[in-house]
Amino acid sequence: MLDFLRGIAIVLGFDGLGWGLHRVGVPIPGGVLGLLAFYLALSVGLIKLEWVERASSFLLRHMVLLFVPLTVGLMNMGQLLQRQALAILASLVVSVVAVFLTTGLMGRWLLPPQPVLPGLPLDEEKAGKA
Amino acid sequence: MSAAQWIGNPVFSVAFTIASYAAALKLHQRSRWVPPIVAACIPIVALLLLARVPYAVYNRGGNLLTWWLGPATVALGMPMYRHGIALRASLPRLVLIVMSGSVVGMTTAGLTAWAFGAPRAVVMSAVPKSVTTPIAIEVSRELGGIPPITIAMVIMAGVLGASFGTALLRLVGVREDRAIGAAMGTASHGIGTASLVRRSELQATVSSWAMAAAGVFTSLVAAILALFLR
Repeated sequence: MLDFLRGIAIVLGFDGLGWGLHRVGVPIPGGVLGLLAFYLALSVGLIKLEWVERASSFLLRHMVLLFVPLTVGLMNMGQLLQRQALAILASLVVSVVAVFLTTGLMGRWLLPPQPVLPGLPLDEEKAGKA
Repeated sequence: MSAAQWIGNPVFSVAFTIASYAAALKLHQRSRWVPPIVAACIPIVALLLLARVPYAVYNRGGNLLTWWLGPATVALGMPMYRHGIALRASLPRLVLIVMSGSVVGMTTAGLTAWAFGAPRAVVMSAVPKSVTTPIAIEVSRELGGIPPITIAMVIMAGVLGASFGTALLRLVGVREDRAIGAAMGTASHGIGTASLVRRSELQATVSSWAMAAAGVFTSLVAAILALFLR
């Protein structure tokens, strides 16, 4: 439990850091700045993966709960949604197809099928988390 | 005591929201096709309409949950780091792929909405629709979009990709696991990633890395875009 709280505290600290950086004028959302700082801190070993693993997984697993209140706000937007339904749907379909084609075809070009590399830490990586 | 007083108390509205979410998860376990976010909102909207309580009153407590989206964004750095280690050999190429996909996603979404005559706020709401919700909300705010519309589009982009994405990729001859994962994570974030988990471990790993990376790239591009809009 203490372990979990330490993870939450670290994540909150980085969110605060991101907020601060955004406030002093970095034009990127605070949460994303916090994410980048957090990623950097993990990469250079300033914080250890096992300190933050449980807390981060918990926040990510229940992310849907966190955007329920904003989604409920759609109840006030019936008119706007109705008027813009066509534009919204067209934008969605065109853009989703475009992203799949760009990334998929670039992937086909840049990532040719390869034999399985021995010793890739994929399996052990995932085993603990599933 | 009036309904508005009850619902205006965060103790009540937060508890009710958590209960609706828990029920939605249960329902999702039984009927896979019901997205938890949709099921979780229905009891809340129903309560507000029946009790004739405005959304703003409910949102006094709702805001407390929304506030945690910041920490949840930061938490995305953890899988990004962990999967980044596993994928390090192909990381530079994956960065290029996800970055291109993000730029294409933003421009096609914005331009199509604009071409269909949507007002500027709706166009800006469409721009971040491919990325994971907490980042999409922040980007939408920065660009002058409407966060709830962005959320609706994010969810639909996720469901579309999860339902038809792999079939579309097969149609154009994309079969490699990393390519499938990169496309899914870039176009359809967490909902798309979840649809790969039972298919292939490598696809899901690349997809969850790509979803975090696409969020970062999209907010970087949006920051540049926002400078030009001012």
